[in-house]
Amino acid sequence: MNKAELKNVTFRYMPGTVYETLALNDVSVGFEDGKITGLIGHTGSGKSTLVGMLNGLIRPMSGEVLLDGENIWEKPKNIGSVRFRVGLVMQYPEYQLFEDTVEKDISFGPKNMGLSPDEISRRVKEAADIVGLSGKELAKSPFDLSGGQKRRAAIAGVMAMEPELLVLDEPAAGLDPVGRETVFSAIADYRNMRNSTVVIVSHSMEDMARWCDVLTVMADGGVLMTGSCEDVFSHAEELKKTGLDLPQITKLMLLLREKGVPVGENIYTVEAAYAALTEIFGKRASLKRI
Amino acid sequence: MKEPFIRVENLSYSYGDGGNEKPKHPAVSGISLEIGEGEYLAVIGRNGSGKSTFAKLLNLILDPTDGKIYISGKDVTSPDMTDEDVYAVRRDIGMVFQNPDNQLVATVVEDDVAFGPENLGLPREELRKRVDDALAAVGMTEFAGYEPHRLSGGQKQRVAIAGIIAMLPRCIIFDESTAMLDPIGRRDTVEMMEKLNREKGITVITITHYMDEAVRADRVIVMDNGRVLADGTPKQVYSDRELILSAGLELPQCATLVDRLRTAGVNIPDGDSTTPEKCAELIASALKGGELS
Amino acid sequence: MKNISIGQYYAADSPIHRLDARTKLILAILCIVCTFICKSTFAFVALMIFGVLLVLISRIPPKVIFRAMKPIVFIMLFTALINIFWTGGEILLFEWKFIKVYAEGLYNAAFMTVRIIVLIIGSSIFLTYTTTPIALTDGTERLLSPLKKIKVPVHEFAMMMSIALRFVPTLIDEADRIMSAQKARGTDFSSGGLIKRAKALIPIIIPLFVSAFRRADELATAMECRCYHGGEGRTKLHVTHLGFSDFFALILMIAFGAALVLINIYASKYGLGYVMP
Repeated sequence: MNKAELKNVTFRYMPGTVYETLALNDVSVGFEDGKITGLIGHTGSGKSTLVGMLNGLIRPMSGEVLLDGENIWEKPKNIGSVRFRVGLVMQYPEYQLFEDTVEKDISFGPKNMGLSPDEISRRVKEAADIVGLSGKELAKSPFDLSGGQKRRAAIAGVMAMEPELLVLDEPAAGLDPVGRETVFSAIADYRNMRNSTVVIVSHSMEDMARWCDVLTVMADGGVLMTGSCEDVFSHAEELKKTGLDLPQITKLMLLLREKGVPVGENIYTVEAAYAALTEIFGKRASLKRI
Repeated sequence: MKEPFIRVENLSYSYGDGGNEKPKHPAVSGISLEIGEGEYLAVIGRNGSGKSTFAKLLNLILDPTDGKIYISGKDVTSPDMTDEDVYAVRRDIGMVFQNPDNQLVATVVEDDVAFGPENLGLPREELRKRVDDALAAVGMTEFAGYEPHRLSGGQKQRVAIAGIIAMLPRCIIFDESTAMLDPIGRRDTVEMMEKLNREKGITVITITHYMDEAVRADRVIVMDNGRVLADGTPKQVYSDRELILSAGLELPQCATLVDRLRTAGVNIPDGDSTTPEKCAELIASALKGGELS
Repeated sequence: MKNISIGQYYAADSPIHRLDARTKLILAILCIVCTFICKSTFAFVALMIFGVLLVLISRIPPKVIFRAMKPIVFIMLFTALINIFWTGGEILLFEWKFIKVYAEGLYNAAFMTVRIIVLIIGSSIFLTYTTTPIALTDGTERLLSPLKKIKVPVHEFAMMMSIALRFVPTLIDEADRIMSAQKARGTDFSSGGLIKRAKALIPIIIPLFVSAFRRADELATAMECRCYHGGEGRTKLHVTHLGFSDFFALILMIAFGAALVLINIYASKYGLGYVMP
């Protein structure tokens, strides 16, 4: 079942001016309930526009955006309630922190939802827990945190709204390996705890391969393909043609196939590559013995 | 003995609180190393490891709390340095920063490239020539009349690089210059670094936490807690798995794979496995070797 | 919001576009002086012709200029009305209860309207429409550079101005992004009373300020790295020279002013048309 769905959505920026650009061209795509979907595509492929569509920041010019099967623009006045159900973490979200303590900042969203103080404090604690911020950090000013902590505080601010669909645009951009790991595992934890649906936009194919269940590839304002990581990365040549990066291991496997090593097309993790190569080396060794 | 291009002796720096509190944990503590002219060096380390502070010390944006920096044998940390001497160091050692937006000064691309040379007080004909050459070197000639905010992140970064090249530096430090770019912008910027190093002989110091960028350098320095943990070729540095992981960094996936195959008893010849290209070479030769023996 | 260009620069190739910014600054001032010199019917007719010629030479579509006038139509009407009803005189044209309209009033109203229109046309054509903000900044710096001798920080002001121009689009983008982010966290910018709306701006303004300071800090470091040390000993890539056309334009403008003075004198001497007191 799809949690959210776009049906024949078209959107242009600056229509009627010389700057007019077609961002989404008759796009239909679904985001499966309870799954982590990775959205890939290079700059200008339309993914940021798509992300903005999901929580009603951008209104399609034609077509429908469905949440649980209902058109979110049915009653435009109620778009606010859609924003409470679909949480959006934008790029570099730490730049939106503004309160004098981290705790207050995380509770900003829940407060806007009109929740009771008890409920707000429960949600703040829980969200802080998921992203790994301690009580000590909650009392600090957000501007005194390290880069990675700021990022996590900003993500917690959206998680505390407990959205059914959590959308994150480049949640780990600019972080070091440890910071990246922490952010992605927090996202996975949130999904597991709340059973919610997650959409992640990222340029890092290794991260996408590791954390996503489903991948949707966008190019030139349309959806190029959608499927499991295995399916998508086995179309390595096609991805390369659209100018997208490949996971390192997929690149390695492509090169090995070029050199005549019989490795499969659907390998994109170290584990799978290890299994495939030990098998090949094993056969070689047993052949040698004969 | 010939003096190296840059020699750093026991360099330390602590960010003060500006108040009466005790100085904070040192950002750089007791670094000593040499950098030769024409080197392509990557400095890697997690956020807060002191790598950016180290870079800012090199071109005298920060004054070391302790230690010395010699550039071509001249002590640039000495109190006798005049303003002119400081400008000479900054002209020699240019710096490209992380956020492309926050280093472009002018409202038109070519005026921005001219900014540095203008500060050097060069005559107009020379300014024109330097701007044209620098824009050509980064492939942005056709954008000379553009406003920076109409460019993509990668293009802005190329303009920033042109602004540094126009000062004819001997060394360019890239302080996480690829962190905010998309893959295409990143690739362009890294290729630019390589080109500047190989074709113009400019010393390149790239500060990054992307291992796929570090492995393209000739030499890698690993920093953590303000200290140098390792210093060597990418192959040497990345062969010490424990050290890389303890510094909060990651190994290239290909190196991890080769590592695991070796542990499992597969006979892979000694060699560089840090990039997919080199790794494929290595594995293929191992398989061929198997056939021959 | 992305493509709001700063100022109202209208790209075209006209003799006025090609003039040096310094010349245009002086021309704008002279133009203002000229509008105030006018005192007689014939002078105002000459001024009107001058305004029309200016628009034609600048190659800016009249439509664009009318658009710029829209915000001040109210002011023009207001001054015209005040002049019509409050100017006393000798020739009474119309009387109803306490309202008296004199011919002098009508003249004054017409003169003031022409004055305001030419004032706007002159200053906007010489400055904003045909000169980019950055050229204007440079021009001002050079025009005022003699003041550096008495320690007026002319260069610093010009640098500040040009950096501000450079960062306006960046900060507009940023504000846009922060606004979207806070909307996603449930901020409602469009309902509630004035106080509630003002309060809703806090989550935008604080991050915007924090970001502006961070940018300023990074920019200052980047400028230092590029050997910036104030205006002293600095050269410039673009140095415009005053050419023949600049002097020609200035002479033309001064001649026009002189002609207006002569027209005024003749008009009052021989009683040609109406002459303002």
